[in-house]
Amino acid sequence: MAAYLINIAQHRLRHLKQEIRFKLNAWTISALILGLILFLPMAEVLWHLTSPAENWEHLRDTVLGRYLKGSVILVLGTAVLSVLLGVSTAWLVACCEFPGRKFFEWALILPLAIPTYIAAYAYFDLLDQLTPLLIWVRLNISPEAMTLLSDTMVYPVTIVVLAAVLYPYVYLVARAAFARQSSQCIEAARTLGHGPQSTFWRVALPLARPAIVGGVALVIMETLNDYGAVEHFNVPTFTTGIFRTWLSMGDLQGALRLAACLMALILFLLVLEKWLRFGARFHKSSQADRPFQRYALGQAKAGLAILCCLLPLVIGFVLPLSRLAYWASFNAGKVLDASFLKLTLNSVGVATAAGLATVVLALFLAYTARYFGSRTVGATNRLAILGYAVPGAVIAMGILLIAGQVTRTTGWVLTGSLAALVLAYVIRFLAVAWQPIDSGMERNCAQLNNAARSLGANAARSLFQINVPLLRNALVPAGLFVFVDTMKELPLTLILSPFDFETLSTRTFDLAKQAQIPESSVPALCIILVSLLPVIWLNRQMRTPEK
Amino acid sequence: MFLVEPYSFLTARLWHGRCCGTTALVNQNWMLDIVETVSHFGEPLARFVMKSFLKSFFALGLLAGVSVSAAELNVYSHRHYDSDAILFKQFTKETGIKINVVKASADQLIQRLISEGKNSPADVLLTVDAGRLHRAKAAGVLQPVKSRALAKKVPAPMRDPEGHWFGMTVRSRVIVYSKDRVKPSDLSTYEALAKPEWKGRVVARSSSNIYNQSLLASIIAANGKDKALAWAKAVRKNMARSPRGSDRDQARAVAAGLADVAIMNTYYLGILANSAVAADREVAAKVGVFFPNQDGRGAHINVSGGGVTASAKNKKEAIRFLEFLTSAKSQEAFGNVNHEYPVIIKNNKSELLKSWGSFKADDVNLSVLGAKNAEAVKLFDLAGWE
Repeated sequence: MAAYLINIAQHRLRHLKQEIRFKLNAWTISALILGLILFLPMAEVLWHLTSPAENWEHLRDTVLGRYLKGSVILVLGTAVLSVLLGVSTAWLVACCEFPGRKFFEWALILPLAIPTYIAAYAYFDLLDQLTPLLIWVRLNISPEAMTLLSDTMVYPVTIVVLAAVLYPYVYLVARAAFARQSSQCIEAARTLGHGPQSTFWRVALPLARPAIVGGVALVIMETLNDYGAVEHFNVPTFTTGIFRTWLSMGDLQGALRLAACLMALILFLLVLEKWLRFGARFHKSSQADRPFQRYALGQAKAGLAILCCLLPLVIGFVLPLSRLAYWASFNAGKVLDASFLKLTLNSVGVATAAGLATVVLALFLAYTARYFGSRTVGATNRLAILGYAVPGAVIAMGILLIAGQVTRTTGWVLTGSLAALVLAYVIRFLAVAWQPIDSGMERNCAQLNNAARSLGANAARSLFQINVPLLRNALVPAGLFVFVDTMKELPLTLILSPFDFETLSTRTFDLAKQAQIPESSVPALCIILVSLLPVIWLNRQMRTPEK
Repeated sequence: MFLVEPYSFLTARLWHGRCCGTTALVNQNWMLDIVETVSHFGEPLARFVMKSFLKSFFALGLLAGVSVSAAELNVYSHRHYDSDAILFKQFTKETGIKINVVKASADQLIQRLISEGKNSPADVLLTVDAGRLHRAKAAGVLQPVKSRALAKKVPAPMRDPEGHWFGMTVRSRVIVYSKDRVKPSDLSTYEALAKPEWKGRVVARSSSNIYNQSLLASIIAANGKDKALAWAKAVRKNMARSPRGSDRDQARAVAAGLADVAIMNTYYLGILANSAVAADREVAAKVGVFFPNQDGRGAHINVSGGGVTASAKNKKEAIRFLEFLTSAKSQEAFGNVNHEYPVIIKNNKSELLKSWGSFKADDVNLSVLGAKNAEAVKLFDLAGWE
């Protein structure tokens, strides 16, 4: 065992030496530093997992269990419901033929444009709708039964609202998995006498399981990231706990430790996800595979399929959007004024800056790792993109912490500066831009870079003359996705936004918090409309396939 | 071509490139890599880098400056009421001093003042609840002010003994009851709500809310810590549902029949009674206001108020502004538009407020509530009052 470890250590050392001797230059050094800086806030928070906090014992003994319970119930419920909605619709759309299938194929993604907190505001009175039932229970059964019912209703209501807008993550991955399953597998199942049902359970679902687990991981991370919805429905979770401990108790250290617990939970989930897949890979189909022959559904079944697809679409998109539009129609005059224009510009401006900065950084980081073939830079890149798995509130806490240290050592005030806010967005959403750029680079540019190098071109020339033009198709949507994610972002923006700086998302939250939900529909609607852009773009891409 | 699969960007973003084979060359394992790299060298390395690169990083110039020009007043305000906007305009009209307002929750504003330190552009902090004003004072973001006008117009219990903050309006946290199901004679004190006869009949909002924290702080001040904890526990047990929603929602719950009594602030009832929404006015008509503890220390009151920030660059204007807010005219506006009591309660001119009757107010110095705030929050946690 010891020899094995020493062997590994020696190997690593040798590798490191090699990297230092041959790959140490301005590019790799700055990429290394940048990657680590982007990881710094998260490392800071993790570091606080064990640091002393004066109120920690109190928090641990009184509220930690409650936050954990709330978060776990929400995560489990949302994950299960998302799988039910996402996988069933994905199977219908990918493998069955019924009227309206093509429409549902893209329409089912639409709920992705609605952030969780806006969904919660659109359904703000969902709990109130239950009041008659509660009163009936109070009068006819007992006040205790009503109390119990009222307190447990909070969870299903929140879960339904969250799952209604988060299921597309599962839907997208499951649909792609089903659509790309080798037709041979399905046909083999057919020849062996399996009907659609048993094929689904025994062939298609097991084959798609790794993909579905990946989608569920995203749903879970979005659930843990949410602040607005749980705040509105008063569900005790880690994010609400962080805000309460920090702002109500004025205890930054305690809040940091809660954030560290949350981050540990997420790291645990990442490992769990890996373990759940058992390293399983989805069977890779070659391009030459014949398209899958969809099951034709009879009239009754087709009707059911349409209903099944309509349900998530209606509760996740049509209903919230129409409610918001209805409220906006007679509140627009009250809300739309010069200040509204200003906050729209703020939102767009900061999102543009974040989009550009993220794309440039992602391009630089991915390129440096690939061009110089540096494994160390590759590793720091992966540290840097971890931010996508970490809730915005946690990243914001990390930035605050570092800003505090900077203020103490240099006297500069960083909190409340636009730069800190944009930096936070970059950290949170780097993965969104890095992933497509890196994979595009691997596919299209690797050999060309080597060729250019052998012909005497330097790294900068190779980047601008080969990689950037070839990656144009990846850079624009990468920036677009970061832009939209930034527009939607709430908890991080709430904590870090500068002096006198409101965005559409913080205005939505503030208005909703002041019980002015109809008024909040106007900025909310703006966010949704902007968020629809990439969905429309995707849809167009689908209609005009390349080649 | 690059775009083989139309969703490749979204799907790559969704981390499933690796598992469903959409893009054969997408790194198949990056999530695992993340976990591995974190566990291997994430923490110590980050620590090292933090120390060595901190200075060079911020030398990149990530500073944003905020300019302040003359004859302006920068106000950080938690108050988001129409009455304030009207008064700010009036102030500008009378003095020519322009007011820039930053509205945010008080807790955030205080945190911001702390982090901005000496460089803060703010001159005045306006917020609700003495607990928060005390928190601001304790955080060192307010400075003491000597003003004869303020000392005269603001009674001693309603301001900080050292002049760090001054109350501007008063609100009482009272018991609101269903006119159908509760007789006012059934009600007596806050303490009585802990009795078993109220089981399943009480509603109140979350303990994250400062109004509840200050109420509990006043009970700690009056009865001691142990009794206050027992009270919070018992009232939580008597609740018809777990704490949620705003003060207004508590009145709605009582009007709807979910519960019989609610703990809430007076002015919210005023807002409901004057709402443009008919359902809100109905709610206000169905419930009554009861001022508790009239035979004892009096009903719990609190203020909204303000102080001059430690970093104020326009101190003179800031004091003038606070004096303006305590002038008779401004005080009347607070009552008529926002249904708050003037800081000298007996000067109240609002008909609605008069209709609730006069009351005896708890005369504990409000800075005491601030001092006991942190203790109150902890007691709520111990009592299981979410």
